[in-house]
Order: sequence, then structure tokens, then C-alpha cells
Amino acid sequence: MSVDTHGGRAPGLDGLAEVANRIRGAIESVVEGKPQAVRLALTVLLSEGHLLIEDVPGVGKTMLAKALARSIDCSVRRVQFTPDLLPSDITGVSAYNQERREFEFKPGPVFANLVVGDEINRASPKTQSALLECMEERQVTVDGVTYALERPFMVVATQNPVEMEGTYPLPEAQRDRFTARISMGYPDPAAELEMLDVHGQSSPLDRLEPVAKAADVRALVEVVRRQHVAPSVRQYAIDLVTATRNHPELRLGASPRATLHLVRAARAYAALDDRDYVRPDDLQELAVPVLAHRLLPTAEAQVERRRPEHVVAELVHRVPVPAPRS
Amino acid sequence: MTVMAALAVLAGSVGLYPLFTGKGWFWVALGSVLAVAVGGTLGRRLRLPAAFTAVAGAAALLVYLTVLFASSQALLGFLPTPGSLGRLDELFGQGWKAVNDYAAPVPLVPGIRLLVGAGVGLVAIVVDLLAVRLRRAAPAGLPLLAMYSVPAAVRQDSIGWAAFAVGALGFLALLMADAREQVGGWGRVVFTPRWSQEVPVAGAVGPAPAPERPDARSLMSSGRRIAFAAVAVAVLLPTVIPGVHPRGLFGLGGGGGGGTQTVTTPDPLVSLQRELTERGDAVVLTYRTDAGPRPDYLRMYALDQFNGNRWSFSSLSTGDRDRLQPGVELTPAPGLGPVRVRRVTTEVRVSRRVREMDFLPVPYAPARVSVKGDWRVDDASRMIYSPRDSASGRSYTVVSAQTMPTARDLAAGTAFPSEIARRYTAHPRTVPPEVMRLTREVTKGARTAHEQAVMLQRWFTRTGGFRYDLSAPAPRRGDDLVNFLLHDKRGYCEQFAASMALMARILGIPARVAMGYTPGTQSGPNEWTVRSRDAHAWPELYFEGAGWVRFEPTPSGPGGAGQGTATSPSYSETAAIAEQPGEDGRTEPTPSAPSSTAPGASESAAPQGRPDPLGDQGDRGSPQEDDGTPVAGWIAGTVLVLALLAAPMVARALARRRRWSALRPEAAGDGPGVRDDGGAGFADPAEAAAHAAWRELRADAVDHGLEWRPGDTPRQAAQRLSELLELDAETARSLGRIARAEEMARYSRSRVPTSAEVLRADVRAVREAFAASVGRTARWRARLLPPSAMAATSQAAQSLSRAVGGRVRRDGGLWGRVRARLGGWRSRNRDR
Repeated sequence: MSVDTHGGRAPGLDGLAEVANRIRGAIESVVEGKPQAVRLALTVLLSEGHLLIEDVPGVGKTMLAKALARSIDCSVRRVQFTPDLLPSDITGVSAYNQERREFEFKPGPVFANLVVGDEINRASPKTQSALLECMEERQVTVDGVTYALERPFMVVATQNPVEMEGTYPLPEAQRDRFTARISMGYPDPAAELEMLDVHGQSSPLDRLEPVAKAADVRALVEVVRRQHVAPSVRQYAIDLVTATRNHPELRLGASPRATLHLVRAARAYAALDDRDYVRPDDLQELAVPVLAHRLLPTAEAQVERRRPEHVVAELVHRVPVPAPRS
Repeated sequence: MTVMAALAVLAGSVGLYPLFTGKGWFWVALGSVLAVAVGGTLGRRLRLPAAFTAVAGAAALLVYLTVLFASSQALLGFLPTPGSLGRLDELFGQGWKAVNDYAAPVPLVPGIRLLVGAGVGLVAIVVDLLAVRLRRAAPAGLPLLAMYSVPAAVRQDSIGWAAFAVGALGFLALLMADAREQVGGWGRVVFTPRWSQEVPVAGAVGPAPAPERPDARSLMSSGRRIAFAAVAVAVLLPTVIPGVHPRGLFGLGGGGGGGTQTVTTPDPLVSLQRELTERGDAVVLTYRTDAGPRPDYLRMYALDQFNGNRWSFSSLSTGDRDRLQPGVELTPAPGLGPVRVRRVTTEVRVSRRVREMDFLPVPYAPARVSVKGDWRVDDASRMIYSPRDSASGRSYTVVSAQTMPTARDLAAGTAFPSEIARRYTAHPRTVPPEVMRLTREVTKGARTAHEQAVMLQRWFTRTGGFRYDLSAPAPRRGDDLVNFLLHDKRGYCEQFAASMALMARILGIPARVAMGYTPGTQSGPNEWTVRSRDAHAWPELYFEGAGWVRFEPTPSGPGGAGQGTATSPSYSETAAIAEQPGEDGRTEPTPSAPSSTAPGASESAAPQGRPDPLGDQGDRGSPQEDDGTPVAGWIAGTVLVLALLAAPMVARALARRRRWSALRPEAAGDGPGVRDDGGAGFADPAEAAAHAAWRELRADAVDHGLEWRPGDTPRQAAQRLSELLELDAETARSLGRIARAEEMARYSRSRVPTSAEVLRADVRAVREAFAASVGRTARWRARLLPPSAMAATSQAAQSLSRAVGGRVRRDGGLWGRVRARLGGWRSRNRDR
């Protein structure tokens, strides 16, 4: 009789919570008053996804990305996306080495565990697409040669809302590759006041020491992969995603990849909650960040200023949680 | 709505039909209803307050009644004046008197018509006020019910089921019209797509081609199904409940309509032995008669059917023409011919202590009966009975035409009319061959039917070796009779009478079993007293020309030798065969010992003793059981009503019990098993406990009227309830534990950490918190009529109706066409 998985918690979960809490504490020492944003960022990290932080300038997008990067002892590259940035500036180039008389590959900034893409929508679509292969397949192909990327590999991109000047909206394909899109929102007055105090003296980012190693993160990812998702919860994820595809106010629903991302993120989210199983509540809390940025509203919905976030929130209310087996 | 209310009142008034002779009352009622409807409509047109609407209806009713009954005294023929009101009052008094004088159905004298008009009109006013003006259609059923209850209360025999169904459907139509108008107030019907079923495809696909659910239509049709099912159940249920049917609400047995009903009483044979044994000396009745020293038996019942086991009388159809009219001569009894007949007048006074005697003991054959109350006569059997009155304490006078046949008369009457022969010689094929053989043996050598009968009687009383024994068990089955005839030969009048009647039938002589009383004992000049022990059964045989004549196979005699006061008629003596007619057809008893003269015991004409010894005769309990039918019916009915009322409560309690007790079985003890994610059923008892607790919680929440959203996850539900009810910390923790256990049971692979006992205690605590936080009404409803149990019932009903609907859809092309049209209409609607 196998009692192993039945009686106790999944192994590694305790360690995960401990490490995750360290990272969370580290980030929160920099980004005050945004626990949910921090938690979502960690969720994406543990679900091997990529994070898109979208908000108006100056609310701490880059701060969050950098804090996340710094709190983990791993290779971090930051790319400032500008309109003149070229694809090779990201992936790397083959340069002719005169001494050795051959082309050698100069890895671009994507060759890191954490890539912070700042203001990603300021680059041309061509450059944005250069990230496509890296993000999904975790590899880079230059001049017919494929280079694998390190693990963990996470792209944390920030972007200004598309209405802002000088932006190129991210193509749907690219948006679909981000596990979640979060927005920072303005801090509440108390947090803002504290921020004034803290940031007045020196940047807390400078004091931030790494609290976890890349290997730790890899181990955590493994734990998260083993998280239990009950069939009814999986069904619920499918129901939610399917509902977006059939919604009259959406021109484009969520892809199957979205379902995958949703369940993966839910695993990580549950693990951060120190739980070894996913419950529908996780899916509900993740639905908007994971699904909304992939959806395209119809013209009518746009006219009525119905944003995909609203639609997803409404679906979360309406799609019934699968009844338990009885 | 006005129209529906009027229709409902009219439909309800149909139930009044058994109260009246003739059908004129209906038109009076119709006029009243119309008048009230017009008055009510006018009142509403003028936007009068509710009370004045009723006044308007009443005024219209008054005008109508004035026109109908007092137009000569009225101003301009319709305006009420003091004179016309006086006239109405006078008529009302007449009607009231008629109601008190006559038993239902009453003749339609003007006073009665006025009462009908006014009564139905008043009901119509109340219904109109409730249903139309106050928009309370459901309470409007109460006055309708009151109207229905009048005939139900007045008449012990019942109201036809058809009338009930018409009334019920009228009320349902009223409800439906009301609901329709209420819905109509919200505008036209809009079909919203059911999002969970299908959501139009995003993008440029256009309207989803998938059919939408016809929400409103299916609701309506299921409503209709439920309504019809309710009426059908109400009509049919009483027939299947033992004890209610015989004197139940509807006379389903015989003719349902047309004022003819069926009268059924407890099996008279059953009470016979009890009367003989238990009540011995109790005086049943006394009578004065001019029949001389030897009056005839007093007969109550004539049992004309033998089903192989028992004798019973065929159901009596009673109508107005069967009613005894005081002083009116009945038609001559069947079969009377040239035989001498003397008229005997008997004045009977029935003891007050007699209960439930609804058949009058009268000497055969009653020709004129003067008795108060509603008494009927059955033409064929000449039984006098009442569907509602009891003879208890009553005095009545009977003039009987007593036939005085001679043996020769009877010997001549051998040809029987075919109808009589068919009806009264029928015996089941199951009669054992031994009995047939025995019958032929006993009557061997007889030349006529009369001789056969006399030989049978002689065999029973003298040569057959029978012994009178009151302690013999009452015959219940055909075998008992066989046993009595062939082996046991012990019995009392019932066995003798039943056997002789059967044997006569076997021989082709029309026969039936009569029941009633022997003449009893003389208590004064021409005065006789009949006691319980004089209860008796005897066969009546039919001879053309003489009609039904009595035979006496039961041994008579005091001291237990036989039925003490039984006498055998002279024409039935053996001597009669030898052409020796009795002086007046009957042997005379000795005056000093009026009880005696039966052939077997005539020599021992001893003083009246206790001929049917009392004592601990077996089988005493069983007759009571049958006799208690009406009481049993009431009890059964009450129990049924209570059971129906308690059903949800019981169902809820059972569900609770089942949930928890399902956790206890041995399967729980066997250590944890690995849960199979895809499979059904719970390997883990803790998991089962969590589910049970959660279902209990859900049921409790629903019972207490708290909102339960199916879309909630356990955690959300717990949180919402906790915030909604502002639960204290402890209860909130309990609630949280239940939710967490359910959540883990549902979604986790880990074992639920909370034990079943804890969960059970938690559920109890939460239930108490629920009860404490809702109002008293909700609390009692949760206890008495828990909605969760009701929902389960309605779910079952829904699935049933869906199954029925599915069948209807498959079968009915009409249904399909309706749906197709509906679909077309809906898609046009959507395009708009």
C-alpha cells in the first residue's frame, strides 16, 4: 500500500516556502505596499514563465524587475528597449575575430538567467520578435547555430500603456508568451510616504543582497512542477479559457498556451501559499493577470471601454466551479 | 382576470350539484357570478378602493337577486325597495326552512334558489375581491374550498370526482391567469442565452447557431404538467388509500355524476357474530305489531352476491327516485303473484344506544315506510337505508305486505324469470365439487324446487347432524363453508344461512342471504322487544308468485341448542311436502313461549334463556377491526396528511443521518488507500466525512434561507457566509475548518486533517449559528419544511417531468411543430 503521496505534503514544499519567503521579503524591502505584485512576480518565476509589467511611468516597474533580479544570485542582464534597438542587440551577433580568423558568437543580453527588458514596447516589432524564440524555446539561433539558454530563464519586461507616445504595441504572439501581465498601480499614501523616507537617503536596491541561488530556484521549479492539480480544477481552467473564446465581447480568446500558463502559474501560486494542491481560488486570482493581456476586445467592446480585464473578471464570477464528485 | 375569477367560481360551484334536485340552480348561480363580475368590473373602472369594489359587487348581486325574485316589489323592476327586501327576506326564511326540513338533494323551491344565488354570489364577491382587486389569487382558493366543503360536509356519500376535478382546474386556471398577468406586467418575454450552455462564438461568426433553451416555455409546460398531476393525484389518491375510499371524498365506485351515488357499509356479516355474542341482552329495538302472535323477522340486509368466500350485497345506486316519500306506497315486491298477502303494520322504536344503524330493520316486504330523514329503498332487495342518517333513537312505521304462501303455492312456482335466475343463482366456479355432490345427495328425490328447499332445511336442522355453536369461527373463506358442511358441522346462523343459500343456488333456486333480527320476545300485548342476541341471518329463496320467502336452516332452541327466537315457516316444514298447508302458512308458536317452534326444538319450548351463550368466543377481535372502518379511515387520512406535512422534515433528517452514517461503515477502518483522481467514490473516510460535512453545511444554509452560490469555491462560500452572518470567531473557525476539509477533499492529494467527529461538531455549531442569525420564521421553516429536502423532491419531480416531456416530444408531432414555430419566432426576435 503506497502511503507516500497520500499522507504527507509534497516533499520540498517546506523548503520552497522558506526560499520563496526570503525572496519575497527581499523584494518587498524595495517595493513597498505591493505584496500582490511581488507574489505574482514570484509565481511567474517559479512557473518558468515571463512577466510583463505594464503601467504608467514611475510607479516602480523597473524597480520590481531589478529587485527580483537582484534578490537571486544569478546572471542578470538589462536591456533598455529603444526604437533603434536591433534584434542582434538582444540575441547577440557573430563577429569576425581577426586574431583567430573566424566568426565567433558574441552572446547578447538574453544569455542570462534574468533578462529585464525595460520599456519593451518602445522597440520596433522586429526587435520585439527577436525575443520570441528565446522566450518560448529558451534558445537562440544565430547564423544557423542554436545556443541554449540557461535555466532558470525569465524575461521581465516592463512597458508603458500602449496609449503612451512612442510605443509600438506588442504583437499578440509576443504577448501570448508572457505568462502574466501585472500592473503596479499607484502606491497608497502610507506606502508612498514610507517610500519617500527610504528612498530619500539611498536606493534600497543598492543594499539588496541576493537571498537565493539559481540552483535554489531550479529546485523550486521542480517542486512546483510536481504540485497536484485535481481533475476538477483542470476542468475549471479549461472552462475559464474556453469561456473567453466564446465571449461576445472578445475578438480573440485565450490560446491553449494560456491554459497551460494558467495551470502552471496556479501551481506556483499554491506553492507560494504553502499548499501542495491547487484550488479553484488560485485560478480565479490568477485569471486576470494570466489571461487578460492575451485577449482582444471587439470593436464594440472597445467603444464601450470594456477592457479584457473586466471580461475576465466577469467570467470568473460566472463560470461555475466544477461540482465535487458525488 | 375577472373572467377567470368568475369561471373559477362557476367551476367550483359545480361541486354543489348533489345538493339540489334539478339543474336550475346552476343558472341562478351563473347569473350571480355574472352580476358580481359586472359589479366588480364597474367598481374597478371607477377606481374605487378595494372595499368599495366588494360593495359594488354586492350591490350588483342584490340587484340581480331582486330582479330574479322580487321584481314585482322593486322600483322599476330592479331597484331594491323595502318591499322587495322584505320579499327577499321572506324567501330567505323559506329557503332556510327548506334547508332544515329537507335532506339533500333538496327541491329547488324559490327560497333555495335565492340561497344558492346569494351564496354563490358571496363566494364570487370574495374571490373577485381577492383575485382581481387585491391580486391574491392563491387565497381566493379558500372561499372556493369553502363552497366545495358544503356538499362534502352535508352529504356523507360524496361528490363526484369529476366535479372536484372541474373545481380544481377552475382554481388552477385562476392561478395561471394571475401568474401570467404578473409576468406580463414586466413586458414581453425575452429569452436570454444561457451563458453556461453556449456563448456566441467570439469574432465574426455571427449569432450562434446552437438552439437556446426555451426557458419560459419549458417552465410553463412543466407548470402545467405539475398542475394536472396535482389534480390527478388529488382525485386518484383517495382510491388507493385503504379506509378512506369507502366513505371517501368521491363516489368513485358507482355512477360518479348525475346525483347517483354508491352506498357502502361495513360488511354486515362481520358484525353479526359480535352482536350475537357480545351485546347479548342489549335492547336493539321494540315494536308494536298487528301481526298477531307470531310476527315475521325484521330484515335489514339482503346479501345477493357470493364471491366464493363471502356473501355481500351489491353496491346500491341511490338517487332521488329511491327516496322514501312519506305515505307513498312502494311498488309491489318482486315476484308477487296470486299468493295471499296480508298487510302488517309495525311501529318500531330503535334504541338510542344503537349506533351506526343505517339500514332499517323492517318486516319483509315493506310497502310503506314512514320515517323521518333521508331514507332510500333499494328496489330489488327492498332494503331501507340511508346514506347519511342513522336509525339510532328513531321511530318509524312500516306497513309490510307479508306473503302467506302455502306449500302448494311454492311448489307451483318453479319457473323463475330469467333476470332473477341470472342474478340470484350465480355462484362461482370455485365452489368445490364435494359441495355440489352433497347438495344433490341431500336433495335426492325432490321433485320441485320447493321440495329441494324443504329437504335442505330439514337436513340442516334435523338429519344432517349439525350443531348450533356460537363459538365456531366466522366463516372467512369458501373452505370454511366446505368444512362446515362436510366435516365440522358446527356453526351459527351465518354458516347455516350462507350454506343453504349457496346450495339453493347450486340447485338453480334463486337465493340470497337475509340479515336482521328474529321477532324477539314478546314484552306486552302486541309489543315485542328485540335484543342483540336476536340478530340473525337466514336464506331467502325466490318462488314465482310468492316472491322472496324465508327459510330457516338454523336450529332453534334455548340454552345454546339453537338460535333462541328463530322460527321456521310452515311452508318449509317437511310436512308441507305431504300436501299439508298450514292454516295461514305459518305454524303458530305457543303464546307463552313465543321463541320456539322450530321443528328441531319445538318440543322444548322452554322459557327464554340465553340462547346464544356469551363467552369467550374466538375471533372476536376481527369483526371489530372491520367495523372500525370509518374511524380507521379518519385515522388513516390524518396520518397521511401528517405524513405528507412531515415528509420534508423526515427527508431532511434522513438525509443528515445517511450522510453521517455512510462514514461509519467498515470500509473506513481499513487504512488509507491511494485516492484515484479520476475515479468516483472516496477511498478515504476522512474525505467522505469532509464531503458529508460540506453537503450538510450546504443543506443547512439552504434550509435557513441563506444564499448558496453554486459558483463559490468552498473557501469563498465559507467567507461569504461568515461575513454575511457576522459569525463569532469560534464559529467562523468551525466554518473555515469545514471549508478547508472540503477543499482538501476535493482538490488535494493529501489527507484531510480534520476528523469526522470534529467536522460533525463543527457542522452542528455552524447550524446553530445559522439558526441564531436568521429570523424566527426562517428558523422554523428550516426545522419543519427544510427547503433542501423540498429541493431534492422537486428535483426528482423535475427529472420525472423531463422524462415525461421527452416522451411527449418524441411522440407528439404537434409538440415538435410548436417548438419549431417557437424557434423561428425566437430567431427573428434575436435578429431584431
